[in-house]
Amino acid sequence: MSQEMLALLLEALGETLYMVAVSAGIATVLGVPLGVILVSTSRGHILQNLWLNRILGYIANATRSTPFIILMVAIIPLTRVLAGTSIGTNAAIVPLSIAAIPFVGRVVESALREVDYGLIEAAQAMGASPMQIIRRVLLPEAMPSIVLGLTLAVISLIGYSAMAGAIGGGGLGDLAIRFGYQRFRVDVMISTVVILIALVQLVQSAGDLLSRRLNKK
Amino acid sequence: MIELKNLHKTYHGENGSLDALRGVSIHVQEGEIFGVIGKSGAGKSTLIRCINMLERPGSGSVIVDGEELTTMPERQLREMRKRIGMIFQHFNLLSSRTVYDNIAFPLELAGQSAAEIAAAVNPLLDLVGLADKRNQYPAQLSGGQKQRVGIARALANRPKVLLCDEATSALDPQTTHSILELLRDINQKLGLTIVIITHEMQVIKEICDRVAVMENGLVIEEGSVIDLFVRPQTPTTKEFIRTIVSHDLPDVFAGLPFTDTPQPGSNLMLRLSFIGSSANEPVIAGLIRRFNVDVNILFGNIDHLKNTPFGTLLVEVSGDDAAIQSALQYLQEIELGIEVIGYVARNARATA
Ligand SMILES: Nc1ncnc2c1ncn2[C@@H]1O[C@H](COP(=O)(O)OP(=O)(O)OP(=O)(O)O)[C@@H](O)[C@H]1O
Ligand SMILES: [Mg+2]
Repeated sequence: MSQEMLALLLEALGETLYMVAVSAGIATVLGVPLGVILVSTSRGHILQNLWLNRILGYIANATRSTPFIILMVAIIPLTRVLAGTSIGTNAAIVPLSIAAIPFVGRVVESALREVDYGLIEAAQAMGASPMQIIRRVLLPEAMPSIVLGLTLAVISLIGYSAMAGAIGGGGLGDLAIRFGYQRFRVDVMISTVVILIALVQLVQSAGDLLSRRLNKK
Repeated sequence: MIELKNLHKTYHGENGSLDALRGVSIHVQEGEIFGVIGKSGAGKSTLIRCINMLERPGSGSVIVDGEELTTMPERQLREMRKRIGMIFQHFNLLSSRTVYDNIAFPLELAGQSAAEIAAAVNPLLDLVGLADKRNQYPAQLSGGQKQRVGIARALANRPKVLLCDEATSALDPQTTHSILELLRDINQKLGLTIVIITHEMQVIKEICDRVAVMENGLVIEEGSVIDLFVRPQTPTTKEFIRTIVSHDLPDVFAGLPFTDTPQPGSNLMLRLSFIGSSANEPVIAGLIRRFNVDVNILFGNIDHLKNTPFGTLLVEVSGDDAAIQSALQYLQEIELGIEVIGYVARNARATA
């Protein structure tokens, strides 16, 4: 493989990492609160608010059940507003984040539901406010599961980011389509696939390790 | 210290509603250990959870340390709860925190500094005997050790009241004993008022001063533990006492034709309970001397209610029919715990 190709691969890897990192960051910042709200506003929970709960639940489900490739095209107008363009890595970050936010929200929701309600009551009995319960009981206790969930989200994002390449999002997927598929460069195709597999493995192992470290049970 | 007045609580579920509390009133004095015993579903947990408003009663009043809790706004209630410690059957420790950090938790919630927290937590670790486990996580502790952490945590805010919901039900008898000893110790050292919910009479017997018996959302009997043991009024209470003081008749009497009223030429079977100093009085000797009856001791047992000696005797009184009646009257007058088991024909035992 030529020096030139290698440079292209590296650049594409950089773009993929950039897209995934930024959209994972955005999805975490917005998805974790979403998960917290989905749990805490549910029936019998510390901030019960069934209307809010139902509305957010519908939105999350609608977003999650739309296939990513369709979501990506459907929100192009929004992407233009937020990213200033509809092609390139920055543009890809918009649909990637929007797809990942409800994913993270649901994953965090199920992690928080695993926390024994007895712990919440114990905290209430000590005079904890709902905010204190969320920050000092729910999130720390669910952290090992949340980390595993975020790991899953990052892996999905790696896959989606390759799809984003299909509409000129840049990154490894873009490279694979432009060179590997359209110019019949099998070596490029194989290289991108190998790099993607390695990336997923690495993320999964790191997530597992971190989760295990955090888990004191 | 705690006054519950006419508490009602109804749970509304999918398949109808359920009256968990149907007018419960209880007064717990400052510094005492008050027990609430009852069978599963009697409403004990609902009751104790009303004391710190984890459960809101449908009606009635809850006064703790002079303050009415049922009408208190949420924010003020949270402050109030810091003065009421609570421990749980399943400990409810934070698995992500060490022993030290679990005990520090309520102090963190109260916004104390690391130095203040250390000054409070270290003596508590010593008090519950877990100084060497301070950096361990709950998963590495035994049940008894976990409950000790729970107790230390509940004491961190220096509460005036400690609520215990089945705090020893998940523990083996030895560990139960050591936890109860710790609670008694705390009660004495800190003058803490303790409310204990349990379905085990052993717990009541070991540390409680007074006790309420609950059934179907009502208190059916209440009084000092000694009174309860000596003069149980309800079948439920008698059943609970029977779980630790054997009331079985010796084999030779089981199945004999007892009658409730005296029959000519029959013997009287009695169960006598002796409390504290009365355990030392020569009652039996006096009986024989004064009434010219024979007293045959069939079974005897000595136990302790908290610190008070408590004895039970199963006796058979024989003699002249009139003498037996005077002896019975005498026993009833001298304030002994006395239960007439029945009259049995004098020769029944021989022919049985
Ligand atoms: N959150 C709830 N929703 C509906 N019903 C409830 C709820 N909590 C308790 N109950 C019902 O109220 C009754 C009293 O329950 P409670 O937990 O106070 O009993 P308990 O005396 O503590 O029993 P146990 O010894 O089993 O703990 C029971 O019939 C129970 O099923
Ligand atoms: Mg209970």
